[in-house]
Amino acid sequence: MRPGTRLRLALRDLGSGAAFASMAVSGQLPVWTLVLYALSLVCALAGRRLFAKRAKLTALLLLVVAAVLGMNVLAGAINLVVAACSFAGLISAHRLLSAPEPATDGQVHLSGLLMVAGGAALSGELVYGLFLVAFGVLSSMALALGVVEASVPEGEPVPVRQVMRPLATGVGFAVAGAVAFFILFPRLNWNMMGPRASPGLGPATTGLSDTVRLGGAGTIKGNPRIVLRATLSPDPGKEALDAYWLGRTYDVFDGQEWTSVGRPPRGAMYMVTLRPGGDDLVHQRVELLPAYGARTLVALETPSRLGNAVAHQQSGSRRVGLQEMGGGEVRLQDPGISYAYEAYSLPPGGSGHDLRDLPPDEQDALLTIPEELDPRVAQTAARVLNGEREPLAAARKLAAWLQQELTYTLELSGDVDDPLADFLFVRKAGHCEHFATALTLMLRTQGIRARLATGFFGGERVDEAYIVRAGDAHAWTHVLVPGRGFVTVDATPPAHRASQSSVVLQKLISFYEAVEARWRSAVVDYSFRDQMDVARALVRPPRRRGGEESPSRLPPLRAWGAALVAGMGAYAAWRMLTRVLARERPHEATRFVDAVEAQLAAARVERLEGETLEDLDARLTREGHPLSPALTPVTRRYLEARFGGRPLRQGEASQLLGSLKRAISAEARRRAS
Amino acid sequence: MRLRPRQWWSRLRARFRLPRTLKVTRIGRTYLVVTFGVGLGALNTGNNLLYLLLGMLLSMVVVSGVLSERCLRDLSVRRVGTDAAFAGEPFAFRWAVTKKRGHGFALTLSEADSPLSGEGGVGYLPSGVDHVVRADLTAPKRGPVPLAGVRVTTTWPLGLFAKTRVFPLKGMLLVYPRRGYACVDPGEAERGPVGDAGNPRRNDGTGDVAGLRELMQGEDARRIHWRKSAALGKLLRVEREREERRTWVLAVEAGLEGDALERRCEEVAALAHRLIEEGHEVGLDTVDGRLRPAAGSAQERRLLRALAWLGHEGPRGEEEAA
Repeated sequence: MRPGTRLRLALRDLGSGAAFASMAVSGQLPVWTLVLYALSLVCALAGRRLFAKRAKLTALLLLVVAAVLGMNVLAGAINLVVAACSFAGLISAHRLLSAPEPATDGQVHLSGLLMVAGGAALSGELVYGLFLVAFGVLSSMALALGVVEASVPEGEPVPVRQVMRPLATGVGFAVAGAVAFFILFPRLNWNMMGPRASPGLGPATTGLSDTVRLGGAGTIKGNPRIVLRATLSPDPGKEALDAYWLGRTYDVFDGQEWTSVGRPPRGAMYMVTLRPGGDDLVHQRVELLPAYGARTLVALETPSRLGNAVAHQQSGSRRVGLQEMGGGEVRLQDPGISYAYEAYSLPPGGSGHDLRDLPPDEQDALLTIPEELDPRVAQTAARVLNGEREPLAAARKLAAWLQQELTYTLELSGDVDDPLADFLFVRKAGHCEHFATALTLMLRTQGIRARLATGFFGGERVDEAYIVRAGDAHAWTHVLVPGRGFVTVDATPPAHRASQSSVVLQKLISFYEAVEARWRSAVVDYSFRDQMDVARALVRPPRRRGGEESPSRLPPLRAWGAALVAGMGAYAAWRMLTRVLARERPHEATRFVDAVEAQLAAARVERLEGETLEDLDARLTREGHPLSPALTPVTRRYLEARFGGRPLRQGEASQLLGSLKRAISAEARRRAS
Repeated sequence: MRLRPRQWWSRLRARFRLPRTLKVTRIGRTYLVVTFGVGLGALNTGNNLLYLLLGMLLSMVVVSGVLSERCLRDLSVRRVGTDAAFAGEPFAFRWAVTKKRGHGFALTLSEADSPLSGEGGVGYLPSGVDHVVRADLTAPKRGPVPLAGVRVTTTWPLGLFAKTRVFPLKGMLLVYPRRGYACVDPGEAERGPVGDAGNPRRNDGTGDVAGLRELMQGEDARRIHWRKSAALGKLLRVEREREERRTWVLAVEAGLEGDALERRCEEVAALAHRLIEEGHEVGLDTVDGRLRPAAGSAQERRLLRALAWLGHEGPRGEEEAA
C-alpha cells in the first residue's frame, strides 16, 4: 500500500469517526452501538479490515442490527430518528472494516454525511459544530487524495503535500460560503420545530431534595459545571453578581436533618404567584441546564412570580405546568432534560412577609428547636448576643461570631449523633449547611424566628447573561424581621460561599460556556428576526439607546470593518487594472494579419502546419495560385508595418483587406463557373 | 472533398461544443441527493444546524467547480503520438501537457470524438513542466482515424463532478490491420532464390550452420541433416545463418468490401509479417496500386500503411501517423 493511500484511509476513517461523534454527543444513541462503532474504528485505524474477505456474508450482520433496532423502536425504547442514526453509524462501521475500494470509500463518506445530518437532528451542542467541521475537513482531504491517487500511475507516489495547499484554501472558502449561506438564506420554514435537548456531557450533579441532612462529605462545592443561566432585566451590569438564588426553605430541624412543614401541593398552573410585587420587580429569563438534575425552580431572592415554563426533551420542547410545594418551593410538573422559564423577584431588602401572613403551623415551626439540642447552644447564643433582641442585629452578631470562631471546611468526619454540637464545640469546622443551621438554631433559642434557605450563591457574567455553577450550591438563614419579612443573613465566611472549584477549570468551563452561548444565540437559535436585524444593520446602523454619545472619539468598529472591506476591494481592483494595463497589447499589424488569415481560412486556402503568412505567399507564388497577386502586396505591407517601422495608415488596412476580399470572391466565382 | 456522415457529425459536434462540460459522477449523484434531502429537512424543521450543513454541502459544490476550473485553465496539450497502432489491441499513445500557471491535479486525457478507447492520467502537474502522459488506447478497426481534439477531464477536488475541456487539435492516426497468425499459404514464390541463394547447390541457404531443428511437414527434404537424423532417430533439418530468400507479391483482390476486405487485409498483413520475418521479399498488389517487393521492417511498415489505407479515401503520405 502506498504511503499516500495509508494516509487517505486514516483520514477517511477519522472523518467517519467525527461524523459518528457528532451524533454521539447527543447522548441518545444506544450504548451498544457506541461500543460496536468504537471497536470498528479502532480496528480500521489499526489497519485490520476484518470483513475484507467476507463483505457480503458480514453484511447479514447489518440485517440483524436493523432487526434489533426495529424492535427497540416498536418497544418504544428509542425513537425512529435515533434508530436511523444508529443504523447509519453501523453501516459506516461495516464499511470501515471492509476492503478499501473506491466504492467502499464512497459509502463511508456518504454514510458520514448521513450521520452528520442525523447529528444535526439529534442535538444542538457546540461540540457538534466542531465535529461537523472536523468531518468536513477530514473527508474532503480523503476524497481529494483519492481523486489524485486514481490518476497517479501505479508505482508512483501520491503527491500528498502538493494536494494539501489548494485543498486547504478550498475548504476555507467552503466554510466561509457555508457561513454566508447560513446567514443569508431566508428562514421560511414549513413547520417550525424547536431544537431538541440532549443530556450533554455527564450526569446531573446537583439538585434540591426535600430534606437537608448534616454530615457526610462535601463534593458539590468543587464542581464547576454550569447548572443555571439567567438573563436579568434590568441588567445589573456587574461581572460578579454575588446574589442568592433561592430554591426552597426548611423550617423543622430534628437534630439531624431539615424538613419543611407539610403543605398539600396546590394545583398545576402556568404562573405561580408566591407573594405580590411592585413595579420594581427584577425580571429573569432562566434556563436550568442538564447538569441541574432537579425540577425545583430557582430565582433570585426573593421570588415573587414564576411561570411560562418550557421543558426541553429529546423529542422536542413543550410547555409544562408548575406546582407550589411546601417551603416556598415551585416545582415543574413534567420531567425534562433542561428547562426554561421566567421569574420575577423582589429587589433585595426583605420578603415583605408579616408573621400573620404565614400559616399557623409554619409560624410555630419558625421557633421549634430539637428536644435533645445541646444546652450549650443556647448558652453560647445568649452569651454572644449579650442582651441584643432586635432580630436582624442579633442575627448579624451571631453570624459574625460564627465566622470569627469557626472555620470552613469540606473535609467532614461523617455522620455523628449531634452534628450541630460537633460543629460548634468539637471540630469547630464545617460547611455552609453547618453554619446556616447553627445560626438558625441559635436565633431560635433566643426566641427569634428564623429558617434555613437553600439554593445557590453567585452569578458570573458571560456575555449578556449570568451563569451559576453546581459548586455555587449554598445554604443560608432567613431571619424574620418585623415590617420587612424574611431577611437573608449568611453565617458562612464570604470567601467560601461561592464555588470552590479550581480556578483554571472554572476559566476553561467559562470559556466553553461563552463559546457555547455564542453558538446557541448565533447558530442554534438564529431566526428570521435575526436575519432582518442583520439586513437592517447593513442598511441603517443601529442608534444608541437614549441618544447616548459614544465615550470614544474613534469611529465605531463597523466603520473600521467597512473601511477594511473597501480597502481590500480597492486593492483588488487596482491589481486587476494593473494586470490588464500590463498585458501586452496586440500590435495593429498583428490584428491586420489576423484579419487576413481569417479571410484566407474562409476561402479554404490550405496551409501547412506552422506556415507563416510570408511562407504561404511564397508558396502560392511558386504554385501560381490565382490569389497570389492579391496576397503579395498585403503580405509585403504587413511585414513593413510589423517589422519595418512603417505603420499602417488610417484606413489602409481596410483598403488592403477589401482588395483581398474582392480577389477571393472573384476566385470563388471562377471556380463555380 | 465530400464528407462522410460520421465525419460531418463529428465536425458539427466540435463546432457547437461548450467550452466546458460537466458530468456528475456516481458519488456526486448520491451527494446531490443527500444535499437535496438535507435541504428539505432544513426547510421542513427549521433546524439551523441542518441549514449550516446544507450551506457547507452547497459551498463544497461551488468550491469544487472553482478548483476544477483552475485546474483546467492555462493548460496546453500536444500529441506526441505512437510508434504503431494495430487494430484490436492496445497501443501506447502519448500526449505532452503543460500548465503555464498554477498546478493541475487528477487530469485524465483521451481523444475526443474518436473511436479510440482508453485514457491516460496525471496525478499532479506542476506549473511550467512539460509532462508526457502515456495511455494504452485501442482502435476497433484499421484505417485512418481523424483526431479532432484532446479531451482533458478532471474530477478534482472531491470526485463529485467530472469537468471536461476539449482542446481542438486536428490530426490523423493510421491504424494498421489487426495482427494475427498467418494461416493461409502464401502460394508460390514469384521468383526463385536470388543472390547467393540462387546457386542451385545452395538451396538450403548460405553461411555456417546455425542450428538443427525437426523437419516440419512440407519442408524441403534436401535440407535434412542425415547423419544427425540417424543418430537421434528423427528427421532434423539444417538452419543456416542466411536462409533462402524468395519473393512474394501478395494481393488483395479487387471487389472485396466490408468484413471480407478486413479479413483479407489482416491475412495479408500477417503473411507479410511472417515472410518478412523469415527474410523474404514481399510486395503488394491492390486496386490502389502495386508496391514493389522488398525486405526489412521498413517494407513491412510500407505494406501495413498501404493495407491500412485500403478502402479509404485520403492522403497516402508518410506523415499521417499522429
